[in-house]
Formats: sequence, structure tokens, C-alpha cells
Amino acid sequence: MRIRSFFISRRYTVSGFIIALLLSALVLMSLRVKHRRGVEFFDAFLMELFSPFQSGSTFVIKTIRKGFQQYFFLVNLQRENAFLKKQISDLQQKNHQLHETSLAYGRLKQLLHFREEISFSVIAAEVIGQDSSSWFKSVTINRGERDGIQKGMAAILPEGVVGQILKTAPTHSTVLLITDYNSDIDSIVQRTRAKAIIEGMGENRCLMKYLLRSEEVIPGDIVITSGLGGKFPKGLVIGEVKTVDRKGHGIFQYAELVPRVDLTKLEEVLVITEASPPLPVENEKGKKVKNKK
Amino acid sequence: MRRIFPPLLVGILFLSIQCTLLALFPVQRIRPDLVLILILYLSFSYPPVSGGILTFIMGYLMDLFSGNSLGLYTFTRPCIFYGAQFFKRYFYLESFSSQFLFVSIFSLVEGLLILLLLTAFHPHSVHNLYLLFFTSFIPQSFFSGLITPMFFSLFNTGLRYLFPQTGMEVREGGQI
Repeated sequence: MRIRSFFISRRYTVSGFIIALLLSALVLMSLRVKHRRGVEFFDAFLMELFSPFQSGSTFVIKTIRKGFQQYFFLVNLQRENAFLKKQISDLQQKNHQLHETSLAYGRLKQLLHFREEISFSVIAAEVIGQDSSSWFKSVTINRGERDGIQKGMAAILPEGVVGQILKTAPTHSTVLLITDYNSDIDSIVQRTRAKAIIEGMGENRCLMKYLLRSEEVIPGDIVITSGLGGKFPKGLVIGEVKTVDRKGHGIFQYAELVPRVDLTKLEEVLVITEASPPLPVENEKGKKVKNKK
Repeated sequence: MRRIFPPLLVGILFLSIQCTLLALFPVQRIRPDLVLILILYLSFSYPPVSGGILTFIMGYLMDLFSGNSLGLYTFTRPCIFYGAQFFKRYFYLESFSSQFLFVSIFSLVEGLLILLLLTAFHPHSVHNLYLLFFTSFIPQSFFSGLITPMFFSLFNTGLRYLFPQTGMEVREGGQI
């Protein structure tokens, strides 16, 4: 009898544990929905704890890739004489190093120029990891609250908009890319000044929503940020219209947008840390819009 | 502790690989979900309490490094773990095809569960994800299943090394 009651109670204990575990996951989910503070602190703490694994992994991969790129071409030269082999090895090594330095220099120079040109203050950050799942589109960067980064700040590149800060930890943050289904940006078609909302579609594509059917939009049109909402300064390029869908009824038409930035190959981003006056842009009649401070 | 920490470390390692090395794949649609493979293996070889805690932590970490702001994986990963535990008696994980099917099916089930939860929380903005389910998630599930036998065999070796006397490993009929 005792043994039987022991097994019954143990079974109930395990079932109770399973229910409690799943309930706590649901509670966590509901806490996040309501944006309560307690979970954010815990998230930041854990993110800080586990981000070094990603940084370490990225470092190892970059080192291996660099080594592979440097020595891969030497495999077929094994049979040639030692002197030429060494000379070629040295030259190739130098060439690869110079090429890599040149690429990095080009990227950084472009970022620096852009930084000098723009009126708002930005922080440069390195991408240390991609999203862990296929459903969502985000990247982890090596800058956080200690560098002045806060939730909702815009992440950009000279080519265009990248996304916005979703989560922050003291030294790391997560950037929600514009291709994520959760991302919404207020935008304007540069040529016609037609207003629309840009929503992520996943797989490096965005959807233009709430675009009035009466507006003329054609493939190739450039779409820029409207400046409304306060997160993104006005006039930043989001992407280019690829296709326009006028089928069906209703007052709106839809368009597919290709982001200007190749979000699959992000290495660095600039995070806008300080709000600024909107960039001067022309309105639909070609007149300059005055900046209001 | 000995039962919790080694798989947790493997989970963190897999998560790091998933976020860095596998993200470099030119074709993102075939990026396999290594953490899910580990969790499904644990469902066969770990008891409900320690396994549940492990999958909960791994789900939480998945949420941290993803654009998902709701914490879906913290819920879906334990669900998948217990679901797999419930159905494990119906699977014979000896052959390549059964291991492949087991992981592919549960990967798809998790995808559907995520879609269901997202539809419940964001009914207006998830229509794009339905397309993603077919174009990205089904190929991903397929490739996760494809590499499963290799990982199951590695996990078996690891468990044999960690627990030499208890003989915890996946055997025929899902027995441990």
C-alpha cells in the first residue's frame, strides 16, 4: 500500500512539475507582452553571461577562415621547389592580408565619411551573431547600455536602414532587422512622396502596406524613411520597389521592397544614439521643407 | 549537476554555432536546428524533471539571441520535449529513416506551434510567416532530420562516456 501510494504521489509530483514548468513559460511570455521590467533585467543578465560564447565562436570562425584563405591556394604548390613555394606563400599571405585590410579600410572609410556627413551622433558596432531561429530576423552587436544604446534606437549603414534595437544588455544588444515580420517603419516613396508602412516579410524582402491605390508607384522607385515616429531620421534609404500589386479591390495597393542594405552579410552597423533635426528633403512640389527644431 | 551541466554546455555550444557558423551558410533555408536535435535526443534519454529544466533553459537562451520578443521558445521547447517523451514508445530509433522522420516531424510540429502562438499574439502581422513556413521551415526541418543520425550517434558516445555504468543511450524502441 505504501509503495503504491509512493508511486502515485511521485507520478503526481512529475505531472505537477511539468504543468508548473509550462505555466512558468506562459507567465514569462505574458510578462514580455506587457513589457514588465523584471524580465528585462534577467534577460540582460543572461545575455551578458552568454554573449561571450558568441564572440568567441565568431573569433574562432574568423581565424579559421583567415587561415584557410591564406593557405588554401598553397596546397597545389607542394611539388614545386622550396624557394618558389616560400616566395609565393609570402606574397600570397601579404596579398591576402592587404586585400583584407583594404576591404576593412574601405568599409570603415565609408562609415567614417557617412558619420561626418550626417547630423546625428552614431556609435559603430560589430555584428557578433545572427538570429538563432529561422522565423525571426535579428543580429547581436557588441555594444550595449554602457555605450549609450537604448531600446528602439535606429541601426543604419551608409547604404540605408538596417533595423532598430530590440533588446539591450550592458555590453551587447540585439538589432531587429527591417525584414523581420515585427518591424514596421513609416516611409515615403522618394519620387512621388506617397506614404506607406514598410513591414518585414523575412528572407530579405519587405512589404509596403497602406499605400493608396491612387498613388503611382513603379518598380525601381526608392523608398526612404518619413521621420515620423521619431526612431529613424527623415530621408534614410530603406530600399527599392521590386514589384507592385494592384490586384483586388480596396483603397490600398501593395508593393514588394528589396532592402538597400544586404542584411545577410552584415559585419558592422551604426547605431543612432542622439535624436536630430530631420534632413531637408523636397516635398511633392519640389519646394524645400523647413527644418523645425 | 553532472546530469545537467554537460548537455547544457553542449546546448550553449550548439546555440553559438547556430548563431555564427551556420548563419554563414549561403543557403539559409537549409540551416539545421542543432538545439532542437539535442532536445529531442534528451527526450529519449533524460527524465522529465532534469530534462524539462534543461529544455526550459535552452529555450530561454534561444529567445535571448533571437528577434522574438515574446519568449516563444521558452514555451515550445519544453512542449516539444514532453511531446517527444510521450510519443517515444512509438518510435524505433535504430535506423536512419526513423531518426530522420522523428526529428523532421517534431521540427514541423514546433513550427506549427510557433505559428499558432504568433497568430494568437499578433493576428494581423503574421500572414507573411505562413509563406515562410513552406519556403524556409520545411527545408530546414528536412535538413535537421538529415543530419540527426550523425548527432544521435555522437550523443550516444558522449552519454556512454559520461554515464558508463547506467548505460543511458537511445536504443531500439526508444528505450534507455
